[in-house]
Amino acid sequence: MAERLLNRLREARDAKGWTQAELAARVGVSRKTINTVENRVFTPSATLAIKLAQALELSVEQLFWIER
Amino acid sequence: MHDLKDVEAADTMGRKRSQIFFVLAIVFFAGQAAYFGSSPATRDSHARIGAWLILVILILMLLATGGFLFRGRKVLDLLNDETSRLNRLASQALGFWVTIITALVVYVESIFDAVSLNEGIHIIVTTGVGAALISFAVRERRAHRIG
Repeated sequence: MAERLLNRLREARDAKGWTQAELAARVGVSRKTINTVENRVFTPSATLAIKLAQALELSVEQLFWIER
Repeated sequence: MHDLKDVEAADTMGRKRSQIFFVLAIVFFAGQAAYFGSSPATRDSHARIGAWLILVILILMLLATGGFLFRGRKVLDLLNDETSRLNRLASQALGFWVTIITALVVYVESIFDAVSLNEGIHIIVTTGVGAALISFAVRERRAHRIG
């Protein structure tokens, strides 16, 4: 059965009151990358996943999980 | 932390880049359709071959680098971040497969009809490079539009 990487990036970003561009600036990627991760079009690298979790003050597991 | 202005500039430039690449792909294919539509006696002029060659080299450089620019290292890094790099790699892979498949088709065609070396290379390079360019433009446009 296919596995899917899900995330709560949008909810976590909204909780901080940040726009996609603001989160992108904090992490050092483009707004497009934040957008595609939020919409599960793009699976981020481990490096980016850690940077996102750090910026949002969450653990990687709180931000990303695998649906089986 | 990056400057928000850099992120916004990269976003604007990324959208423009995908639009420019899309238009460039259409111009490229249209030019080649006109080339193959013309009579063999007139189409192999130095000017036409030279224009095609320059365009192919330009497109290859754009696909290899993501575009030469413009607004400083920080914006360039944001413009070519991991989503763009992945889109570029996927487009290059598609270009490779289109090139190989076209080469096989030309090879089979050459068994039945005479295909000159120039013609064959022109067709193979045009389809491979054009497919990679349009694939990158479409992937980038889609990434900007989602959400």
